[in-house]
Amino acid sequence: MLSYIGRRLLFLPLVLFGVTLFIFIAMSFLSPYQLVSSYIKSPDELKNQSLDDLVKKYHLDDPAHIKYFRWLGNIVRGNLGYSRSANMHVADAIKARFPATLELTVFAMIPVVLGGIWLGSISAIHHNSPLDHGTRVFAIIGWSLPSFVFGIILLMYFYGVLGWFPPGRLSTWADMIVLSKDFVRYTGMHTVDAILNREWAVFWDAIRHLIAPTISLSYLWWAFILRITRSSMLDVLNKDYVRTARAKGLPENIVIKRHVRRNAMIPVATVAGFMVLGMLGGLTITETVFDYKGLGLLTATAAQQLDYTCVLGTTMFYGVILVLSNLVVDILYAIIDPRVRLD
Amino acid sequence: MMKKLLRNPLSLFGFVLLIFFVVMAILAPMIAPTPERHKHEPYRIPRYGWEITPSPPSEEHPFGLTQGQHDIFYGVVWGARTAFFVGLVVVGSSCAIGIVVGAASAYIGGRTDEIIMRIVDIFLSFPFLIAAVVITCVLGKGLDKVMIAMICFWWMNYARLLRGNILQIKQEEFVLAARAAGVTDIKIIIRHILPNTIFPVLISASMDLGSVVVTAAGLSFLGLGAPEGYADWGQMISFSRNWLLGAPGEPLKYWYTVIYPGIAIVLFVLAWNLIGDALRDILDPKIQA
Repeated sequence: MLSYIGRRLLFLPLVLFGVTLFIFIAMSFLSPYQLVSSYIKSPDELKNQSLDDLVKKYHLDDPAHIKYFRWLGNIVRGNLGYSRSANMHVADAIKARFPATLELTVFAMIPVVLGGIWLGSISAIHHNSPLDHGTRVFAIIGWSLPSFVFGIILLMYFYGVLGWFPPGRLSTWADMIVLSKDFVRYTGMHTVDAILNREWAVFWDAIRHLIAPTISLSYLWWAFILRITRSSMLDVLNKDYVRTARAKGLPENIVIKRHVRRNAMIPVATVAGFMVLGMLGGLTITETVFDYKGLGLLTATAAQQLDYTCVLGTTMFYGVILVLSNLVVDILYAIIDPRVRLD
Repeated sequence: MMKKLLRNPLSLFGFVLLIFFVVMAILAPMIAPTPERHKHEPYRIPRYGWEITPSPPSEEHPFGLTQGQHDIFYGVVWGARTAFFVGLVVVGSSCAIGIVVGAASAYIGGRTDEIIMRIVDIFLSFPFLIAAVVITCVLGKGLDKVMIAMICFWWMNYARLLRGNILQIKQEEFVLAARAAGVTDIKIIIRHILPNTIFPVLISASMDLGSVVVTAAGLSFLGLGAPEGYADWGQMISFSRNWLLGAPGEPLKYWYTVIYPGIAIVLFVLAWNLIGDALRDILDPKIQA
């Protein structure tokens, strides 16, 4: 076990090097003039000097390896450059936007996992019956609904017709409360901050804005969890200890609850862990549809306006976060599940 | 296997849908003829006026006109061609890369194998969509750039799959015999190893066509893909984002801007997913028991 963790930790710098190298190679497709934007800290710097001066000043015509290490030094010091599209430093933009993405991920995980497991168990218990086929077709349709189609339809109906679930993160009045002096922003996640500040109206408003993206994400991901649950439950249902439990006269629902579902959950937990990571990096489209101001929308807007600094900065952040959390998830599973052999 | 797939009503439906789209793509010039003034660029959706506000379905334009008076019916029909083109190019190219990398890695083995697999790990550690956004952003917008970006980050799973399969048969007698007989490495790989290992890779690749098309449409939706007015489903849906609120008193006034291109893309992906789902059941050893 320790040697496994050790090996993973040794591999970590290598992966991080790969991540930085990828971004650096991507950057080398840009001309020095395009790159200058990532070194300018404020628009005022452009007033008294020409772009050529700036290229010289920041040594953007140096050979690649020197540029790489200088750039890396800047990243380590937290200087990711200035983002034109967000009108602030990239590091500040990430700090402001990441809690939003995290909040949506955490909020969406609950219905995704619970609903998926529920559908999967129905499907497995009624194997090959109309109920099984029905649930699976329902889930496959969801899996085939791109979030940008389903999201727009949800907004058309629940926002346009009924006015229930508006896009964005907060209504204007709630935004004013959050931005006011009395409201302490502990985490940047509006629901948590609202509870800590005892602002119940803000809390409900934040929830109201989270519901539509959550529905969209849930319906998309249910098929995925359903498939794993179903396959793994069918596997367990054929095991000898389940036959024994039935033979000794246990009622069917207890057999399912105690013996089948629990044992079938291990692969589901594994997949769910990696799904969180996938969602953190894959919310770009959902956030764009619902105008939810998280990290994904930041990247998408920056990319549309060809704001390289911001896109590369957020990618660097994503890369590091995902590499680290991948490691944590792997190690956690090794600790939780004794059957995972790592050596 | 094909027999089993055709006996399952769901995957049969998937095949029927797929054939429908193939026919639609092939016969596009007959189903939605290009107006004379556009003959030289059939992939640009013809416009019938310059107003921004969409116009509802009419006899001449059965699906209506979306933002900028682009004909939705024309876009949906020709969009099928774009979808197949993007899907086939991306899946084909990344499959080719995956096969070369996977075969080289498994056949050479040893330290080379270790290094190649670590490089694959690094590629896998990026969130796919973000990586594609980065590459598209650096190369500039456009459908071709979107395809390049996707190919760069889509090949890894094929490489891994093929490598695993080759490692299983690498030590079998027919390979050793060929080597003992002095056959060159390249020939052993092409004549003896690939025919025995490549099919699972090709199947998994063909099942990815649906998700490739959705992802490409997603990038178009983000405004990174096809230029405005190109016959592309994702881009047509991004138009409808501006009209989802309808008009005062008529909240669903512009429903046709999202429903028609939406149905096209959903059915296209559904077809692949239905076949893929049935296929996975057939290949899943756990369920066969």
